[in-house]
Amino acid sequence: MANDRELLREIWDGKLPICFQLAQEEIMEIQQPDPFYVMVPRLSYFPLVTDKMKRHFLRYISQENSDSEMWLDYNGQPLKWHYPIGFLYDLFCGNEPQLPWILTVHFTKFPEDILLRCSNKDVVEAHFISTVKEADVLKHRGQVMSTMQKKDHNQLRLMESHGENEGFKHIPVRIYSDDGTCHQSLVNPKNCTDGSRKTVQHMITELYPDKTSVKLRTHGITIPSDTPLQWLSEHLSYPDNFLHLCLC
Amino acid sequence: MSSNSLLFSINNEGKVYALSTSSSCWREFMYLGLEFKTLSAVPHFLWAVGGDRQIYLHVHGLEIPIRVKEESFENERWLPLDGFSSRLLPTDRYHFSSQDGTKDRSIDSIRLPSMAWQWEGDWQLELTLDGQPLDHDGWSYAVDFPAQFGPSKQWKSCVRRKKWIRYRKFSAMNSWCAIAPLHKDPTQEPFIDVSIGGNQMPYAAPGTLSVWAITAHGRVMYRAGVSTTSPEGLKWINISIPPGCDIKQISVGPTGLVWGLLWTGRVIIRKGITKDCPTGESWLEVKSPNETKILSVSVGFNVAWAVSSDTRVWFRKGIDGNSAGTSESSATGSGWLEITGNMIQISVGINDQVFAIGETDKCVYWRSGITPAELTGKRWRMVQANMQLSRTSSSTSVVSSVSNAKHHSLTTLNETTPERKTNINLHNSWEESHSAPIEHTMPVKHPREARPKGNVNIENIDLTGKSYETTLKNPRAWSPVRSVGSVVGMEAQPDSDSSVFDVDSGMFFDDEVSQTAWGTCETTWAFVQAGACCVDTLQVPHWFSDSHNVHNTDLSAKWRLEILDNLKNRNNNQTIDLTNYGVAVEEKGWTRSCEARLVNSNSSMEDCILSLYWNDIENTGTLSVFQPDGTIQFILNLPEVTNVFSISEPGSPRICINVPRQKKSTIRVQFISEMEQEEWFSVLVDITSQINVLSGRPSANSIWAVTNSGDVLNWDPMPASLNTCQNGIFTKEFQVFGKDIIQGFTTNLNNNFPPGSRIKVTGSLFDEITRFHINLEGPQVKQRNRVETEVTDIPLHFNVRFEENAVVCNTKTLGSWGVEERHDLPVARGQEFSIEIICDVQVFKIRVNEKHYCLYEHRLSPESITSVSVKGPLKLYTMEYSSTSLIIGAEEMFWRTIGGYLRRVECSQNGIVWGITHDHRVWLYSGGWGGGVLKGVGSKDGIHSMTDTQTYCVYENQRWNPLSGYTSTGLPTDRYMWSDVTGKHKRTREHTKLLGRHWHWISEWMIDYNTPGGVDSDGWQYATDFPAPYHGKKIFTDCDRGDEVSVWAITVGGDAIYRTGVTANTPASLIAISTCNNAVWAVGRRGELYYRGDVTKENPGGFNWNMIEQPKLGYPYSHKSVHIKMVSLTENAAWVILSNGSIAVRTCVSKSQQDGKEWKYLTDEITFKHVSSMGQEVWAICADGALLRRQGVTADNVLGTTWQSIVNGALVHVSARGRSS
Repeated sequence: MANDRELLREIWDGKLPICFQLAQEEIMEIQQPDPFYVMVPRLSYFPLVTDKMKRHFLRYISQENSDSEMWLDYNGQPLKWHYPIGFLYDLFCGNEPQLPWILTVHFTKFPEDILLRCSNKDVVEAHFISTVKEADVLKHRGQVMSTMQKKDHNQLRLMESHGENEGFKHIPVRIYSDDGTCHQSLVNPKNCTDGSRKTVQHMITELYPDKTSVKLRTHGITIPSDTPLQWLSEHLSYPDNFLHLCLC
Repeated sequence: MSSNSLLFSINNEGKVYALSTSSSCWREFMYLGLEFKTLSAVPHFLWAVGGDRQIYLHVHGLEIPIRVKEESFENERWLPLDGFSSRLLPTDRYHFSSQDGTKDRSIDSIRLPSMAWQWEGDWQLELTLDGQPLDHDGWSYAVDFPAQFGPSKQWKSCVRRKKWIRYRKFSAMNSWCAIAPLHKDPTQEPFIDVSIGGNQMPYAAPGTLSVWAITAHGRVMYRAGVSTTSPEGLKWINISIPPGCDIKQISVGPTGLVWGLLWTGRVIIRKGITKDCPTGESWLEVKSPNETKILSVSVGFNVAWAVSSDTRVWFRKGIDGNSAGTSESSATGSGWLEITGNMIQISVGINDQVFAIGETDKCVYWRSGITPAELTGKRWRMVQANMQLSRTSSSTSVVSSVSNAKHHSLTTLNETTPERKTNINLHNSWEESHSAPIEHTMPVKHPREARPKGNVNIENIDLTGKSYETTLKNPRAWSPVRSVGSVVGMEAQPDSDSSVFDVDSGMFFDDEVSQTAWGTCETTWAFVQAGACCVDTLQVPHWFSDSHNVHNTDLSAKWRLEILDNLKNRNNNQTIDLTNYGVAVEEKGWTRSCEARLVNSNSSMEDCILSLYWNDIENTGTLSVFQPDGTIQFILNLPEVTNVFSISEPGSPRICINVPRQKKSTIRVQFISEMEQEEWFSVLVDITSQINVLSGRPSANSIWAVTNSGDVLNWDPMPASLNTCQNGIFTKEFQVFGKDIIQGFTTNLNNNFPPGSRIKVTGSLFDEITRFHINLEGPQVKQRNRVETEVTDIPLHFNVRFEENAVVCNTKTLGSWGVEERHDLPVARGQEFSIEIICDVQVFKIRVNEKHYCLYEHRLSPESITSVSVKGPLKLYTMEYSSTSLIIGAEEMFWRTIGGYLRRVECSQNGIVWGITHDHRVWLYSGGWGGGVLKGVGSKDGIHSMTDTQTYCVYENQRWNPLSGYTSTGLPTDRYMWSDVTGKHKRTREHTKLLGRHWHWISEWMIDYNTPGGVDSDGWQYATDFPAPYHGKKIFTDCDRGDEVSVWAITVGGDAIYRTGVTANTPASLIAISTCNNAVWAVGRRGELYYRGDVTKENPGGFNWNMIEQPKLGYPYSHKSVHIKMVSLTENAAWVILSNGSIAVRTCVSKSQQDGKEWKYLTDEITFKHVSSMGQEVWAICADGALLRRQGVTADNVLGTTWQSIVNGALVHVSARGRSS
């Protein structure tokens, strides 16, 4: 059970300053809109936190676009809403931090080939739950979610290794390269040879035997390579129960 | 369904323990010198095979005693010559008969079935017949015997009868009761197993029970006549088993279904057991699973579980309890199913819940997830419950020697009841004997004969404390079955003993926390019996501790600190101003909930769900308490919480919350685990401190207090004083909206009403008003010989009388009014008004409607005013109270838990705070906040590591006995053989429990050779009897609270201690000392009081000690002087606590009169533990741990007027020495 309150508090309270700017081609008014500055929870998703921002920009865009789906880009790269915000930042700005994070807001030219449509917040929830279920399957062969009812899902916390102290079956972890490609493999929290706790270093050597000096980043920090994976999963997972790690 | 049922277990020493579903600790059964082999239980009835291979019965937990009415009818026939006579015709019934007349029921021959029964009173006549009264002889009449009897005698009444009744009561409740052996010599055919069941036999009468047993000769015996009204039954009936079957274990299910286990590992099943044929018809055989041998079998309602010799667990499917008596397949089931887990013994309880003993760890496991739909359950969960110490600890209990306490009482039992002996029928055959055999047939060897002379119990004490066993085991050890009387161990006083049946009474709490002790020893179990255990699967008992896999080392691991550091610095790398950034989503706050238990004032507990809501942006929060079904019990508004502190006792992690504005009583909550308690405690302290905008170091002006469990509380008046101060005047507005003025509105004036005070009332008068008044009143005083309290002093009574066209001002002194002062009417009916009363040195200035109205000279000291009261038909708008000092009521004082762990705390006016821990080390406050349990709050500054060592002492007591010398066998009236220093509480080494998870043992138990008064070479002290000045052997150990981060830092070195010169008048030793300005007062060891004369800056040691006249006890009625416990000195007075807990004040202490002038006594009947005074602040802790503050203390009235309750709770120490006046 993760009970390192001090650390969990940092994770759960983690916020990111973001500066939203309306894309130039969207602006239909003579007056330039002010950029919209906001602190955004790292653990959240963009569709859940952009309502205020959308209202701020709506009056500057042409009326016919006001109902079309908004999307964001950073440096010309569209941002996938189904990833947690903190992870997207780590992915795009991990190596050269930019604060505030300047994002461009679009209401037209939705990049259908790159982004999923997100018609309403229920879609976010559905996506989130499916990720949690996937994590649960990896962790406990799906025993937790199947015993939960729909109403409980709203109150999800990080699912803990319930019962025995054995830890998870597998660690739900996704590792992303710079280009956003995702690598997911079955990772056991223990070393199969001696049953000791597997560390980040162990996993790296396992997954990238040819690479040297691989570092992993999540929640805006680089993870010390001797961190045990089980602990990492319990404490540094996103609410979807996955460790989203960026290679750097 | 009982919410409090019991799980029984036998440990590897043969001791029986019970675990109640409503408690979380194992309680040992009274140890009677007899170990037990197996147990079998249904609710309230426990059958066991003892170490002597005899059968014992234990009846417990019945609210209504077992009473049986014996009846006998006395018959008489009318004979022409004699009238009614006991001479009956030969064809008639017996003189004393049963109701139908067929049985001889001679009163003399109706005896108690066994010595477990007692008569309740003598034979009595029943004086009614079918509700109709009979004459005083109780006769009823009839023509002839088989006819209808009537109440009145008629000409044709030839026979009459009267009914004698007598009640017998089963008196062996809550004690072991021996069941008579099969043969005269109990060793001839001992028992090897017994099982009880049948309590849910289909269609059977309520109270039916079924008991089966196996003898060492392999015979199966059924106990006839067992029911809830006849717990012992009547006799054993042999049930034949198929030839070649050698049976070793038997299990009776709740439906009466019997499974027997053969030595070959196969199972035989008794078929045809129904309510009419409880012994069944014949045996069926069932193959064991997969050619394994079965080791243990247990039958439930619709299941049977077994454990095979390779420790695998098997479930028998297809059993149907309701038709098991009629259908073979329902009785035998249809097949074995292997269940995961490795067990050595298994037991099925109520609702087919399953318990088992693990193979490797010998722990008790519960099969979770068993429902009627899923009888195999989900997984095994380990039962982790604490041990409660028992009167005879597990390893110190000496195998009973002949001179055992039981024997004492046994002899007395026999001596005092000679008539019972004569009653017993010698010709009863043993085969059908009642459970009370006869002394004549079973002569017990007299202790003196049995005991070889010079055979002294030698106790071999291993100083490591690991093994502690008496070497001598008398082979002829007394065995209860030889004890003739079937009642065993009545002298163990089940009522006064905290036995297994009074749940949660076993809290041994003492003034000194260090004496608290609970068992935590690891026990390995040999046997578990769940037959009486009803586990509610929806509300699982608190037996299963949270499993946590936090490696404590993780918290200090380098990688973790690195991660934490990096996380904290995430947004700090670039210099941007984050304050302009809006919030993306309006946060709604968060909630957190958990299951816990509310502890009521009478220590009973009820389950509840706590739900904490907190929104840190709006700075609001609530703590809601729900009942388990979701209905709301109450909601606390967190800003109104005045303090939260831990009141944990070993084994029960608790916190208490005080919200005086909402609830008068303290809210006490018990959590499931210590971890959870710590988390909630930390969160609540954090939130309530945030609400009150408190963090970091409190001001020097604070009051400090220490709770029972060592938490350090602080109340800092500074934040409040900054808020309300204007030109040195503090103003408080009372909430008067909606108050019922017509009935009267009274509110407390916290600072009294000294010169400089002001009260202003505005409002509007009703049209029909005739009069109203504003009173400035003194405290409520309880008059002697009266129950209710009343206000006897009213320094100012301002009464506006419209019907008299006048305003009357007056003063009430000691209950009687003085001379009225009348003025003209300044206000009119139906108009708005404002009245302002200003206290000046000589007079009250009264202003009405902003204009000077009148003066009223003080007749009583305005300092004695403690409250204001307004009454009359008017509406109040505002009420403002101004004072020259800070106005703050108890409900506004927020006590912050500072962190750390202390026993004593003392602060000074320059902000230095010192503390003392259990190990008498001194700690200095670093100015930090948090640490330890409070890990989330505050910053890291000033957090140091803190350790403490506490010494636990237990006393081993022995009594000298003419036969065996000193033994651990005491008299029933003696103290516990292992006790605390007073002897009133049992303490054992094995069961002494640490205060919490932050404590660790640092040493083994040792004998203390330094006990005052001297000890012999083995550490013993001697006395003539237990209450005499004497100690047993004192054995102590230390435990250590290590690895604790805390805001207290140890003081090293420091200034040299000034040593005072020795003079002739030096007190031998001092127990308390207090200084103020240039005076030093001290209390000597015998409770006498001294002051140190001529202490100056140049000569801080002063010159000599001078004794001060002792205060008197029970003032003013007696003149006996009394000891002093402690002293707190201020500039002009000394507050002392007397040995009876009352407070006396030495007044007029001054430079010229250093010993003061006279003693004054507080007459309120409160006893105190501690008092701390400074200037005009006097704070005290009363005997129940509540914190009180004295109101109205001034230079003139050093005694003050009344106590104001500040914190209800378990406090031990307070320091107000930092308060400046």
